[in-house]
Amino acid sequence: MLLAYSSQRVAYPYFLVALLLFLLQVVVGTWLALSYAVTMPQWLVDILPFSTTRAIHTNLLVLWLLLGFMGTTYFMIPEETEREIFSPLLAYLQLTLLVGTGVTAIVGFLLGWTKGKPLLEIPFPLDYLVVAGALIFLFNVGMTVIQAKQWTLIQGSLFGGLVFLAVMYLFNLPFYANLSIDWYYWWWVIHLWVEGAWELVAAALTAWILIKITNVPRELVEKWLYVELGLFLFTGIAGTGHHYYWLGAPKYWLWVGGFFSALEPLPILLMVLDAWHYIRNRRAGLNGRLIFTLAVGMSILHFVGAGFWGFAHTLPQINYYTHGSQVTVAHGHLAFFGAYVLLNIMSFYYAMPRLEGLAEFDERRGTLAFWWMSITMMLMTLAFSVAGVLQTYVERVMGLGYMTAQAQMRFWFAILVVLGLSLLGGVILTVVDLLTLRPALAGAKKA
Amino acid sequence: MTNKLAKLIFYLGTLISLVLFLALTFDTHRQIQTLTHADQLSEQVVAGKRVWHKYNCNDCHTILGFGSYYGPDMTKVYWRRGSEGIKAVIRSPEKFTTWRKMPRLPLTDKELEDLVAFLQWTSEIDTQGWPPQDQKLRGAPGRAVTLGVSPGAVLFQEKGCFACHRLYGTGGQQGPELTHVGSRLSYETIEKVLTDPRSTNPQATMPPPMVSHEERDRLAAFLAGMK
Ligand code: HEM
Ligand code: HEM
Ligand SMILES: [Fe+2]
Repeated sequence: MLLAYSSQRVAYPYFLVALLLFLLQVVVGTWLALSYAVTMPQWLVDILPFSTTRAIHTNLLVLWLLLGFMGTTYFMIPEETEREIFSPLLAYLQLTLLVGTGVTAIVGFLLGWTKGKPLLEIPFPLDYLVVAGALIFLFNVGMTVIQAKQWTLIQGSLFGGLVFLAVMYLFNLPFYANLSIDWYYWWWVIHLWVEGAWELVAAALTAWILIKITNVPRELVEKWLYVELGLFLFTGIAGTGHHYYWLGAPKYWLWVGGFFSALEPLPILLMVLDAWHYIRNRRAGLNGRLIFTLAVGMSILHFVGAGFWGFAHTLPQINYYTHGSQVTVAHGHLAFFGAYVLLNIMSFYYAMPRLEGLAEFDERRGTLAFWWMSITMMLMTLAFSVAGVLQTYVERVMGLGYMTAQAQMRFWFAILVVLGLSLLGGVILTVVDLLTLRPALAGAKKA
Repeated sequence: MTNKLAKLIFYLGTLISLVLFLALTFDTHRQIQTLTHADQLSEQVVAGKRVWHKYNCNDCHTILGFGSYYGPDMTKVYWRRGSEGIKAVIRSPEKFTTWRKMPRLPLTDKELEDLVAFLQWTSEIDTQGWPPQDQKLRGAPGRAVTLGVSPGAVLFQEKGCFACHRLYGTGGQQGPELTHVGSRLSYETIEKVLTDPRSTNPQATMPPPMVSHEERDRLAAFLAGMK
């Protein structure tokens, strides 16, 4: 029996739904690239505009990543608190509620029902159901932790990050009459999520899995976790200013945003060094190496996508030209992939074999899928970046028309269609592998 | 690194950043009123913002540089096309797009007016000079206006002529540059073109401008003076 607590099982349906939504997200992503590359007929654009498919692509992303985090939290909390989840029933109820809301929202988008705010399109009253789902989750996890009466920093960071995440979503609920103020608070959701709350969740889950797979002393991990969290919040909170340069806010944001956000790569770098150090000095005899590959690959791509690609356009002198161009898209893709997609994949590869009762599993497909997806995503990022630099130069520096620049970029979107199909292949392999894990072949491999 | 130091970094780091951020947020709320001309945020502008959300324009077009990148940025679109230009595109996008299409959205006339008011208000937000490609536009019609204090110049902007034509190098690419059109064409010819572009050139693709006789004459006078 590999599961210490039977209520950890609630994680499984969360993972299952998350994986299927991931698949769908990438199918829609390929469609988006196609819409850029070829001329869609007017009748089709009239009934299925780009805006609708883009809303579906991004909402699926956020939904499945959050379901993944929640599933992993449910898997981890019993082991951390050494007791069963407060109410598995509530966990299933919450899943049903969130998936029901998500599916309704997506069907709604297809019918033109939307709040019309990028990435946060889920309209009233569905947005309140999302809040309800989040509250059930926090209550369930919170009660488990409170009843256990033993707090660890990892729990604190995880729970703190989740509360932070939920609270920030509230800033999305009101209607803001002033467009500039609207975007000001839009970033309290988006930026303070991916460069604040989600980083806390990611740091906690990563630290927990690293302790499990390497058996390094918890005190060491938690000490560095404090430093990471401190640096994330120090740079990330005021770093929100890197989105306030051109939205009608005072000039001092150019200084504040530029300075703090330029430091944002530091905690990410620290996470890379940490993971590397713990794995080098591991004391556990855990079988298999895929989980280590994922841990290292994740932290490196987190750094490249968020740290490096983020830094590249965060200074106002550069952002003036790249703001709102395909450079942003390049960064968005690699950052989300490195930081949060791979984190979820790693968590799934940690939890799934245990849920399936497998001490060791055949890692060949999973390893191939990791490299396939990561290399493809890296190439996608480069293609978006080339398109973005062309756009920046032709449209913003030379001052030629928008469509003149798009014509120059078109070739790269054709490439992106091909890369999208390749990524889809990698995702299918990942999903199939995780859902049909097989015992390791005798003598096939040893770490 | 001691444990104590690690905790200190956490608490102090978070606190400093948070306090600074909240203080600046407070100050931003005060200053943003002026920077966005919040006093001109009329009911119509707010209604226009709701229209902007209702049709999810933002998931194809950026505004203030935020949103999707499938179509051009809308922050300063009012400078580029004027109210009639914006309305024309929304009414029949198929006439203005080439290989990348925009959907035909069922806006009512009122929604269209509100949306234009919203975009006009938006174009006046002080964006610290962003986006770079639109900054020159401020100069072009402005210069034309001051040249002759001409009502024709104002019409040139409002009726969307900039969508296809350039003055002083700014404007659309489909039609010819008109900075020196007065030295090529007479007042009468320009008037003919404005009445029916095909009357002087049967192959002309330019749509007849939607202007009254009086407006047409003002436009012709303005353009004939551009030598
Ligand atoms: C895992 C962490 C991160 C994720 C998932 C992420 C994701 C994103 C996304 C999706 C956007 C585009 C939002 C939109 O306008 O629609 C964005 C914008 C941006 N990000 Fe990040 N980001 C992360 C970390 C960072 C870091 C660490 C930096 C700086 C060092 C950074 C710098 C920027 C900048 C400057 C923009 C604005 C681009 C523009 O002006 O158009 N990001 N990010
Ligand atoms: C088949 C693979 C994919 C393709 C071809 C693709 C393509 C696209 C395209 C064309 C857009 C629209 C950009 C615009 O607004 O104009 C987009 C948006 C976005 N996609 Fe993907 N995508 C794919 C997979 C993914 C994956 C795996 C992730 C997560 C890691 C992701 C995250 C995002 C995000 C965050 C945005 C919003 C970007 C922003 O606002 O900057 N996509 N995608
Ligand atoms: Fe940010």
